[in-house]
Amino acid sequence: MQTRWDIGEPEAPTINSETEQLKSELLTLNMGPQHPATHGVLRIEIWTDSEIVAHAIPHLGYLHRCMEKHAENLDYRGIIPFVDRLDYLAAMNMEWTYAMTVEKMLGTEVPRRAELLRIITGELQRIASHLMAFGTYALDLGAFTPFLYAFEEREKILRLFEEVSGSRLLYNYIWIGGVWNDWTNEQIERASQFCDTMEEEAKKYHELVSTNKIFIERTANVGVMSLQDCFDYGASGPVLRGSGFKWDLRKNIPYSLYSEFDFDVPVGTGEVGQVGDCWNRYIVRMKEVVESIKIIRQAIAKLEPGPVMGKVPKIIKLPKGEVYVRAECPRGELAFHLVSEEGGKKPYRLKVKSPCFTHVSMLPHIAPGQMIADFVASVGSIDIVLGEVDR
Amino acid sequence: MNTTVHQTGSVKDYFSSLYKGVTSTAKGMWITFKYVWAVKPVSIEYPEVREVLPERARMRLFNDVQNCISCTQCAMACPVDCIYIASEKMPEGSEIKKTSNGQPIRLLLTQFTIDTALCCYCGLCTTVCPTECLTHSHDYEFSQYTIDSMKYDYLAPDVISWRDRIVK
Repeated sequence: MQTRWDIGEPEAPTINSETEQLKSELLTLNMGPQHPATHGVLRIEIWTDSEIVAHAIPHLGYLHRCMEKHAENLDYRGIIPFVDRLDYLAAMNMEWTYAMTVEKMLGTEVPRRAELLRIITGELQRIASHLMAFGTYALDLGAFTPFLYAFEEREKILRLFEEVSGSRLLYNYIWIGGVWNDWTNEQIERASQFCDTMEEEAKKYHELVSTNKIFIERTANVGVMSLQDCFDYGASGPVLRGSGFKWDLRKNIPYSLYSEFDFDVPVGTGEVGQVGDCWNRYIVRMKEVVESIKIIRQAIAKLEPGPVMGKVPKIIKLPKGEVYVRAECPRGELAFHLVSEEGGKKPYRLKVKSPCFTHVSMLPHIAPGQMIADFVASVGSIDIVLGEVDR
Repeated sequence: MNTTVHQTGSVKDYFSSLYKGVTSTAKGMWITFKYVWAVKPVSIEYPEVREVLPERARMRLFNDVQNCISCTQCAMACPVDCIYIASEKMPEGSEIKKTSNGQPIRLLLTQFTIDTALCCYCGLCTTVCPTECLTHSHDYEFSQYTIDSMKYDYLAPDVISWRDRIVK
């Protein structure tokens, strides 16, 4: 069979001498696009030797919405609803990065309260996204209950966002120059209450899943991505940190007001399994939830009344130039490359650098030699959102 | 190539991992078991019980045509172009009405249609409206059998009659 990439007939992996004798034709198996373990509409073509994956080829494009081309025909404010739909589980962070891109070009000063509100919403969104990752990862591995606990907490965040912005998933809340609506004191109070309950819940999750022997057996030493692989492919976010490299844009190249905040960057230490395996990637996310709670508490303490919208012209026209802005999103480093023409109301080009795309590209590298069930665990652990991969 | 090789350890390892498996699972089971009586249900039984939506919730759009001045700003702000507006000059000699916030209505609105199936509920149109006649209502149950019936003509009498319910 010829594939699009013409990789030829792959060699079956050699496990030991017994399977060597049993080696026969490879079986082609389609995982997806409607497979619950692929988190969306990812199709992975797997070539298997009995139950061992010989080759895995991800086929992308099932959720392609032509967002980058659409953006060339929209004004700068109208792009925000499209940007929301990139990573629909962390829409706040997508909007925030896009808003920063245009603000950098425009030279807009964002009011302090708006920046703090952006940090609060961004970090709450990070918690919501990691809760989703936690829930669905447990679901992939056959545990249904943690999913329900994660959704119970996520619902509180979504409810808060619905009151603030008016929508539950695709907010259009962070605008160029600030944020749309101000938070009331009651809503801020609820956010800090949520931090208290979330801290307790995080401990519960550790007891329920992280220390569970079955979970450790399924994830430790599975899907190991070495640090060199991560550098070669350009991985970022929890995948890079799970491989033991301390790199977080919020800490290393602080944007917004992150330089004022005190928080740690959790990395995979290999206390269970080895550095760079599924368990370490998972635990980095769970530790990040606790760090996000720290940031939210500090941001709430810093809040002072003030305007939430900076001075932005009614019709945004950017000068000629290019700008590249990146930010730390729940899934890794998201970046926008914006090219504008002189006095244009629309961008000439808007390129999105998506973290999930690089992580999906790593799958063919880690797949050979794994069991199919372990491969499912590997796909789940990189926590992809296909809206961002295909754009 | 990273193959997972499960080596068979000593008998002691076997039993200790078995013990760990049972105890850690029992710990998780205990957390779940507590939910039987200690925690109240958090889900609501939807068709019978309905949540009150927050004030800013963005659901189906509603245009109060009596206050619309046909400025087409909403249609220009819309990122998916789902608002269709047509207007013509006021007939000679007719008195110029005013909107609720005092702006004169100089054009006669002949069509105001929103394709709700195309709408992405982003709320950009409502923020640019100078007379605040275009708003998001709190209706969220409006599924239809055909996609054409998702197009709402806001000048139609049956749609105008929503006004008593929505506009306060």
